[in-house]
Amino acid sequence: MRSRFWLLLTGLLLLASPARSDDLVSGLSTDLIQITSNFTGADIVLFGAIEPSEDSGPARDQDLVIVIRGPDLEMTVRRKERILGVWVNRDQIEFTGLPGYYFLASTRPIDDIAPATTLERFRLGTAYLEATAKVKIDPDEANAFRAAAIRDRKRQRLYWESPTGIEFLSRTLFRARIPVPASVPPGEYRAEVYLFQGGTVASAQSSPLFIDKTGFERQVYNYAYQRSLAYGFASVLMAIGLGWFGSLVFRQR
Amino acid sequence: MELYLPIAELSVNWAMILLIGAAVGFLSGMFGVGGGFLMTPLLVFSGIPPGIAVATQASHITAASLSGALTQFRRRAVDLKMGMLLLGGGIAGSVLGVYIFRLLQELGQIELVVSASYVVLLGSIGGLMLNESIRTIRTARSGDTPPPAKAHQHSWIHGLPLKMRFRRSKLYISVIPPVILGMLVGVLTAVMGVGGGFIMIPAMIYLLRMPTNIVVGTSQFQILFVTAAATVLHAASDQTVDIVLAFLLVVGGVVGVQLGVRVGSQLRGEYLRAGLAVLVVIVALRLLIGLVRTPEDIYSIVAGTP
Repeated sequence: MRSRFWLLLTGLLLLASPARSDDLVSGLSTDLIQITSNFTGADIVLFGAIEPSEDSGPARDQDLVIVIRGPDLEMTVRRKERILGVWVNRDQIEFTGLPGYYFLASTRPIDDIAPATTLERFRLGTAYLEATAKVKIDPDEANAFRAAAIRDRKRQRLYWESPTGIEFLSRTLFRARIPVPASVPPGEYRAEVYLFQGGTVASAQSSPLFIDKTGFERQVYNYAYQRSLAYGFASVLMAIGLGWFGSLVFRQR
Repeated sequence: MELYLPIAELSVNWAMILLIGAAVGFLSGMFGVGGGFLMTPLLVFSGIPPGIAVATQASHITAASLSGALTQFRRRAVDLKMGMLLLGGGIAGSVLGVYIFRLLQELGQIELVVSASYVVLLGSIGGLMLNESIRTIRTARSGDTPPPAKAHQHSWIHGLPLKMRFRRSKLYISVIPPVILGMLVGVLTAVMGVGGGFIMIPAMIYLLRMPTNIVVGTSQFQILFVTAAATVLHAASDQTVDIVLAFLLVVGGVVGVQLGVRVGSQLRGEYLRAGLAVLVVIVALRLLIGLVRTPEDIYSIVAGTP
């Protein structure tokens, strides 16, 4: 939380410092995604415009990067080894700091936009996501496990990098389509837009996005976690009720 | 067709889950088994996390065994005293099982242990059943009478203390073996999500030497309550029971069981047993392949809120 605060602050300072910088406005098609019983994922759109400041002249060497970042999750990564012919989980590392969802769209491949140090500072691109291992381990090992976690999230479409995902509708107007899969973790998300000029951040903007279960789904979830015992009994009663009802119905035929 | 499961936190095709419930129910009605051994692998193949599959499908077995238990109870084919002892052991066993389950989950070995136990248990039981039913079918075809069963024998079981009389089973034995048997099956219910009938029934016949006509009813009575207890315990201790998933499985299962019973009553017993044995062996082989085949990615990830 704290590091993200500093990150935003640096962003703001950078925003203020250059003499001629363009202004950025952006918005999301929705700031709340509700998970209901027929939720199969969602598509949201981020749109925005670059407003050239008066003394900036014609825009040149400009790039945009959009990042949607979900709540941080704890991830346990395990590596299998073959023992007596059977694949068995052996080593494991627990990471904190990796987001549950990460989407990045840009106007060009990000490595062409800015130097690695900048990308690392703003955590732009899955390659620069920071994962902290709970126990101290060999950095090479940690990297292999971290890469495996990111590979897995990409397979599940929870991490997504789209180097051409930003579409310009006019010289200043842009938009990006953000696919959100059904297995997305609920929580507080942030959508960040960065305007790069000559390899440095010229302007940045951030807006919140909430993903939450609602209605029946929310109630079931709360009930299961807050009144676990009653929930267990309710599950059993449902099974017994239906089983009994079924045998009644079929016996009469 | 897609339905979001609030506890599993993913969406599934509800028609497919209904169908799985019905298919397993059909087989369990036809063969007179719980079907848990089929349900866990099927749910895991369709993308449900193993922990949720094991805990949730116990309620499918509860529902499926209810109608069986009711019928047997009406026929007075349940030894209540024996059932209670097995049940006592069973509930203690499932408390222990839920604890083991959680421990294995933290160690990351739950899938391995569940798969390996399935391979060993199903492989050996399926092999034995297949062997026996092939022999029965051969004998029936050649027209010979089967060899007479061994006469009633006294075993080490009869030397144990704390003896009790079981009127309906016509037994006078120690309470220790039923309690231990119940406990063992309770552990299996909590860890593997099976009712355990496939162990309980042979053990009751060959170890406790209960009369065959009482065995099925008593086992169903025990399974009914132990799966119910396992559901409550899983819900309370690790929140892995998804009631929406359970509902779909139970609805499918209730219909499937009834159809299965109807079809099963028209088939000959030895062919039914051979069919079940083939099924059991296939599931065991499929799981064995999963254990020894090189995985696509040797890394696996579990994500959760910190």
